[in-house]
Amino acid sequence: MLQIESLSCFRQDRYLFKDLNATALPGQALQIVGENGSGKTTLFKILAGLFEDYDGRVITEDKAAILYLGHRYAVNDQLTPIENLKFLLKLNEIQLTPALLTAALARFQLSAELDQPCSALSEGQKKRVALARLILTSARIWLLDEAFSALDAPGRSVLSEVCQAHLASGGILIFSSHQGIPEFASATQLRLKAES
Amino acid sequence: MMLLLRELKIMLRSPAGAIQSLMFAVLVITLFPLAITPDPDQLEPLGIGLIWVVMLLSCLLAADKSLASDYADGSLEQMVLSHYPLWWVCLVKSMAHWVSCALPLLLMAPVLGAMLAMTSENIVWLMASLVLGSPILSLFCILGAMLTVGLNQSSALLPILIAPFLVPTLILGTQWATTGGEAFYGYMLAALLCLSLVTLPFATAIVAKIAVSR
Repeated sequence: MLQIESLSCFRQDRYLFKDLNATALPGQALQIVGENGSGKTTLFKILAGLFEDYDGRVITEDKAAILYLGHRYAVNDQLTPIENLKFLLKLNEIQLTPALLTAALARFQLSAELDQPCSALSEGQKKRVALARLILTSARIWLLDEAFSALDAPGRSVLSEVCQAHLASGGILIFSSHQGIPEFASATQLRLKAES
Repeated sequence: MMLLLRELKIMLRSPAGAIQSLMFAVLVITLFPLAITPDPDQLEPLGIGLIWVVMLLSCLLAADKSLASDYADGSLEQMVLSHYPLWWVCLVKSMAHWVSCALPLLLMAPVLGAMLAMTSENIVWLMASLVLGSPILSLFCILGAMLTVGLNQSSALLPILIAPFLVPTLILGTQWATTGGEAFYGYMLAALLCLSLVTLPFATAIVAKIAVSR
């Protein structure tokens, strides 16, 4: 479970958001909606535990159950997709065989580029490398900040399948997206409005 | 261990940074006799100090690059969120910095010393002082890099911020080597190394938390 209680964040002389309340139970998706600059990324950072300058409370059972994927998705240009994925999973204490890593990357249509450094990949492909982590992680709460952008239609549909499987197994999904995602049209929405 | 292997792998695939700081050092030592004097008697007493200054500057020059890519691509955020203790991440970063810019220079020191007409005994003391002193430089450089990473003018700010903290190391290191191993300076340098090793990674870890929340 993830619960947000009267969360407020004051940044650069104004409230980014004030008195936010929301609850996400296992199996539920929560969509963060708001214009550019309305504080979506800051909210994600607060939920992930990266940003601690806020009022109110964020209640989760276990910080280690959280997987945060931001705008910058931690794919190093010098390493190959396999090495990047292995590193990202090891950060969460997950050790896997190469076959599983390859399979996860193949699900995101990355199989020809596996032994090239990621600098040779396009932006969308790098994002897929980071997203392949979702297939293998054991984290129960996913924080996906704009994960659906920069992906083509097949990539988006793989991602939404992976997310739906996560929800079906009792996980929690919190995401933001400027495009409508039809599969998650029924998700609870948390709207961020700029305070004047 | 895995973090360290990753750093080394990234370094080997883009060796430009390590080569750049080594080139800088070799160029300074090559040009110095040409510009000042080729007379061995006048060069010899300058050798230890000159190589120490070059070591300090090349460490400073490489510092801001050692965290820039991890900050820009978000790896730093993920490392902060990982199960690894943050001080260990910072210590690994310092080790990687040391391997990429201090170690090559350390290995080149005998050649550079010979170019400045140093006696072999002086070269041995120089290397001993660099072995003890250069890790302190790396630890401070990573602290400075973490303080300034993501700021607009980080490469200009970093030397001003960190150079004063490197001065004690420079003084103790050069004094130890020029006095031919006087125990007081050696002990002080070793003590400074121990103190830096057990405090700076923790300080850097606190700064890292601030860096990722910007």
